[in-house]
Amino acid sequence: MPPIVELHAVHKEYPLGSQVVRALRGVDLTIQKGEFTTVAGPSGSGKTTLLNLVGCIDTATRGRVTVAGASTSELKDRQLTELRLKTLGFIFQSFNLIGVLNLFQNVEFPLLLQGGLTKGEREKRVRDIVAKVDLTDQMSQRPNELSGGQRQRVAIARALVTRPSIVLADEPTANLDSETGEAIIDLMKHLNASEQTTFIFSTHDPAVMAHAGRIVRLVDGHVVDDGQPAKVG
Amino acid sequence: MGMWSMTASLRRSAKLGPLDKLWLLLVLAHRNLFSHRVKTVIVGAILVFGTMLVVMGTALIDSIERAMERSITASVAGHLQVYSSKGKDDLSLFGSGFMGADDIGRIDDFTKVQEALSTVPNIAAVVPMGIDMASVTAPGDLERSLEALRLAVRQEDAQRQAQLRVQVRELLSQMKQERQNSMSVTSDTKELEADIEIIDRGRSEALWQDFDSAPLTVLEYLDTKVAPLAEEGRMMYFRYLGTDLDLFVDHFDRFEIVKGDKIPPHTRGFMFNERYYERMVKHKVARRLDWFERELHEKRRTIAEYPGLDGRVRRLSRQYRRITYQLDEAESIELTKKLQAYLPGVEGELPKLLSSFLTLTDANFDERYAWFYEHIAPMLDMYAVNVGDVMTLRAYTRSGFLKALNIKLYGVFRYKGLEKSDLASGHSLVDMLTFRELYGLMTDAKKAELAEIKAEVGLQDVGADDAEAAFFGGDDDVVAEADNSDFDEFEGVSFGKGAGQADVSATFTQGEVNRGLALNAAVVLKDRTQLKASQAAVQKALDDAGLSMKVVDWQKAAGLVGQFILVIRGVLYVAILIIFVVAVVIINNSMVMATMERVTEIGTMRAIGAGRRLVLVMFMLETMVLGGLAGLLGAGFGVGIISFLSKNGLPAPSNELIFLFGGPRLFPTISTSNVVMGLVAIVLVSLISTLYPAFIATRIQPIMAMRAED
Repeated sequence: MPPIVELHAVHKEYPLGSQVVRALRGVDLTIQKGEFTTVAGPSGSGKTTLLNLVGCIDTATRGRVTVAGASTSELKDRQLTELRLKTLGFIFQSFNLIGVLNLFQNVEFPLLLQGGLTKGEREKRVRDIVAKVDLTDQMSQRPNELSGGQRQRVAIARALVTRPSIVLADEPTANLDSETGEAIIDLMKHLNASEQTTFIFSTHDPAVMAHAGRIVRLVDGHVVDDGQPAKVG
Repeated sequence: MGMWSMTASLRRSAKLGPLDKLWLLLVLAHRNLFSHRVKTVIVGAILVFGTMLVVMGTALIDSIERAMERSITASVAGHLQVYSSKGKDDLSLFGSGFMGADDIGRIDDFTKVQEALSTVPNIAAVVPMGIDMASVTAPGDLERSLEALRLAVRQEDAQRQAQLRVQVRELLSQMKQERQNSMSVTSDTKELEADIEIIDRGRSEALWQDFDSAPLTVLEYLDTKVAPLAEEGRMMYFRYLGTDLDLFVDHFDRFEIVKGDKIPPHTRGFMFNERYYERMVKHKVARRLDWFERELHEKRRTIAEYPGLDGRVRRLSRQYRRITYQLDEAESIELTKKLQAYLPGVEGELPKLLSSFLTLTDANFDERYAWFYEHIAPMLDMYAVNVGDVMTLRAYTRSGFLKALNIKLYGVFRYKGLEKSDLASGHSLVDMLTFRELYGLMTDAKKAELAEIKAEVGLQDVGADDAEAAFFGGDDDVVAEADNSDFDEFEGVSFGKGAGQADVSATFTQGEVNRGLALNAAVVLKDRTQLKASQAAVQKALDDAGLSMKVVDWQKAAGLVGQFILVIRGVLYVAILIIFVVAVVIINNSMVMATMERVTEIGTMRAIGAGRRLVLVMFMLETMVLGGLAGLLGAGFGVGIISFLSKNGLPAPSNELIFLFGGPRLFPTISTSNVVMGLVAIVLVSLISTLYPAFIATRIQPIMAMRAED
């Protein structure tokens, strides 16, 4: 089976004032379907850039990024949007829920974008996934009425409701206390096991890394290590 | 939660995609509008105001146009006006703003127009018309008294004679007094001394002793020697409309008689316009009092504060002679007693009392105004010309001669609802035949008379146009029929008895009215909604008949007045445009700001799979929802205000507007098109103002979702 994500000699450079930041400097990476991968490294090591490339919200300066069999540099804006909608799910560090919509509507949003489901089907999908993140009682609350942990669980539900092949999470626990953070990771891991969803998330929290099946360590835009958490220590 | 319930039905009816997406976008729009309340309220208020302005403004202007149409069509214009295309000026029924008449050419034979239009459908009447200027002279005080005295002599009314003799001598004393006053300010007193000598002889006992035996000799001396020294009478100029009065009265339903009667069918006669009659022909003191009444009550000015009014009061208080010279002895005594009782503190004779009475203040005006009309007015000749009097109209004919005609004043009229409008009061009325004579045409009788004279003296009938050919020879073909052959080159020249003396009781036939000159003709339609079609049909009928005529609608015929509505409409549209430009700028700015605030949110949407089109639609929908709601609210306000006004009326703030409002108050109505126009305009404004921010929003990259929110 071909890998679901493949990066080959990927470079990413972007201007910052008068200088050019070289965020990724020749990254090669292959991720198989169903993996639960952490991208680790200090601030500025290129973790977020890597996730953005995989998430099709940014393009590589050089090299090749393949997601679900498609080379992202060859896709048009509309096709990239389609890919994000059908294949990818996003979980953001700041949760990024839509403030004016309630929990149910936030989770339903990507389903509406996709279309093709009846109202009943959508409602069932939303209720199922919300039950999994244990927020059924908060269904009609707005984001600002929820705690940080609850919001991130909503974000997870939103990322998973379309049953994507890949879920990308950029430091999903950075804005949470350690206990809530671990609960979130547990939830993701549980879903990874039950749904066979590929998870790729970035973190610099060692406690979180301990839960990962695989850790890709970045330093200065290079992959310096790739392996089991035990080995990395 | 209006949006939820509003969209609930939408949700139920929709099983799949697009409508659900639309619903979600509506929810987003609704929620976003709520979460940015200040922006929503400001933008909403502008949109509400804009819609209200469009709805109200267009409704008001449409209503004014309809009211104006009624004013113009039912007072003088009819729906269409027909006139020669040979004239130099355009027809301007309410005056072009210049004194004198415009040159609109003429219709030489109205019958031809009548015949040409007889087959055109939708015509109720074709009314011949001609507008020109004339004057009438109100006799001076002495002239009037002498006239009355002559009548009293003829009627052998001794008592009246005695009263008038006192009056005449009193007037002569006044004349002498005036001359003496003048002597003190001039070095050349010779002429004045001569005048005084003549006046003194007129006052002398020696002269009046003879009155009982030979009254006419005395009167002749006074008429020929003294009267020329007296103050001259007053010339009153006015515009008049000559027309087929029977047709006119039947088809111009604003016409209304105020005093007297309408002129009997097929009879020569004159009718004054009420406003002119009241303001120009009325007794001077009464006119002045009426003027104060308007200043104080209509314009709400005060004698104490408004500049110039006190000076007017001083001048009025010196006008007591206008009253005294009209009173006989008994009346003088009666009025003196009444005034003494009314003004207990004032000592002295009648002049002193009247002068004091006419010294008006803000406090005493109302009471004295009423007192004047109750006690003084009945003793006075209130109008220089009374209904039933025969007066002499003077007018300059087209060829420049002064033509004078005696004519009976049958009555005073006005146009219903337009009493207070100067514009609608711009003309008096005269029959068509008198008009033609004043204009410079001869009657059939006069033509015959002239032919006789010409035959006697061996004159050749040479029109002005072919005079050159006749005198200097030329191409005979050119001399066929001269345009001016109907004109009276001898007008102003005396023919037999009484030059310029039209028989006041003269009647005429309908044939005479139709057969002959008119300057223009009003076409009254049966169905006014067919105006454009009928205008074309009339033009075609005239063209087919070989008549070279112009056909204009009432608005054009009204001249500057008719164009006024276009000016108002222009001003409104400019105002609306300004409001909308401001609205577009403000909405645009606030939406751009909102877009900047929502970069992360939009980036997130893009990241989780929203396309650019969705972002565009989301932004557009948001302003459309706001625009729609504000539009409905604004239209609601507009409809509310107009329906309030349609019940209570909008008072005309100025004289000119009375005419445009079709009366002292406008009762506006609103139509669906006014509301639709307002809503369409506001939705367009909303869309235009959102284009740029929406475009910016679609350019937001999904990576902006990664920007940490503060």
